[in-house]
Amino acid sequence: MTTIQRRLVVAAALGLPVALPLRSALAAIDATRASGFIQSTGNDLVGAINSNAPVAARRDSVAGILRRAVDIEGVGRFILGRFWRTASPAEQQEYSRLFEQTLIHNLASRFGEYQGVKFTLGRSQANTEDDVMVSTSVERPNTAAFTLDWRVSDIGGAPRIIDMIAEGTSLRLTQRSEYASVVQRNGGQVSALLAAMRQQISQMRAS
Amino acid sequence: MPIRPNRLLLALSLVALVVLGGCATRPPADDPEAMAEFRQTNDPVEPLNRTLYAVHQGLDEYLLRPVAVGYREVLPRPVRLVVRNFLGNLRTPAILANDILQGEPRRAGDTAGRFLINSTLGVGGLFDIARDHFNVPGHTEDYGQTFAVWGIGEGPYLFVPIIGPSNARDLVGFGVGIVADPFFWLGQGVVVQALSYSRAGATAMDTREGLIETLDEVQRTSLDPYATLRSGYRQNRAAQIGNRLDPRSGQAGMGTGFGSSGRAAPTR
Repeated sequence: MTTIQRRLVVAAALGLPVALPLRSALAAIDATRASGFIQSTGNDLVGAINSNAPVAARRDSVAGILRRAVDIEGVGRFILGRFWRTASPAEQQEYSRLFEQTLIHNLASRFGEYQGVKFTLGRSQANTEDDVMVSTSVERPNTAAFTLDWRVSDIGGAPRIIDMIAEGTSLRLTQRSEYASVVQRNGGQVSALLAAMRQQISQMRAS
Repeated sequence: MPIRPNRLLLALSLVALVVLGGCATRPPADDPEAMAEFRQTNDPVEPLNRTLYAVHQGLDEYLLRPVAVGYREVLPRPVRLVVRNFLGNLRTPAILANDILQGEPRRAGDTAGRFLINSTLGVGGLFDIARDHFNVPGHTEDYGQTFAVWGIGEGPYLFVPIIGPSNARDLVGFGVGIVADPFFWLGQGVVVQALSYSRAGATAMDTREGLIETLDEVQRTSLDPYATLRSGYRQNRAAQIGNRLDPRSGQAGMGTGFGSSGRAAPTR
């Protein structure tokens, strides 16, 4: 072990116990608050989905609720992963804008199909230092109930959704894999991903 | 573990690599993040897999999906539920074997009870009495999961036309499942053979019918459906292996459903 490595180990050993409590004190979210947040967001969503308004209006109100409840910025960065750093500031900005449109559109159209939906809150448990997994059971007419888990974190003092897990599959992990594949297959260029996202959004608008 | 099946998997993957070719380009060694991602994605034969995926998509577009859609349109929901229950009941002995091989006495008890109740009160498996009246829902198990519980790694990711997303371990498990199925050994002759082909066809059709919405959504929303399915399959599989899935929804995830019984009722 070189001197530098030894110093790093010592620093890490000394630094970690100091740094961790600080970090959790800042970002911790307790399970009660997280499940209360999912309860109220879920009620809002169910109300919007089951309202008698026309489809377009329903979709808009679902989109509005999701914009307030989801940490879109953070989820977007997580999904772009290591390519966030290689992107230029202009690319980062455009990516965030396109990502918000895609995410909201996809979720709103998926939830839009859940007419007659009901949900019940299940258990919630602290997942890591700074997020909580809240379990819900979603029921639709003529369909077996399924479990939808919500990962909730404290973002700037307020609880926000940072992931959804159904059938053991995390939305953000799956989408990270998808975007990474697009970037890699185009020679590591984030611009190629942006072009594909732009095209997808124009198709969504057309349909 | 007395056997060393990891070696078998390694050998199989090497054979696949050499014979079939089409290895993915490894990222340069001086890019540790790219390297870490390459390992995590676990898809060393990606170009080959993508070719097979394209073949599968062709088959799916012109055969599998239209048949599944037609099946849904022609037969009413209660009839499709009976078909699903019946096929699930036929899988139950294999699920029981895997519950036992994994050392899960409670789950094995559930499965044995389900088989007895559904085969008798459920009229040869047409009705899932165990789930609906005794509150014992089915769960999925297969030899790939058992291998995983025994500590065998998944081996390289593989996409197989018709079967769908898989990996070396699960594909071997799939083969073992066919050979180890008691029904596989039930006599010979034209009738038995016709029955077993019908069963395989019906299983594929029922499974594909259950995945219509999921796969349509992947095709509609993903910028790279191949990558989405790969990630989805591996996550879903990990949850199945850890017995973390909700038995009520009982979906086959993105796999073939050859391993599950007591799946949820058809949605439409």
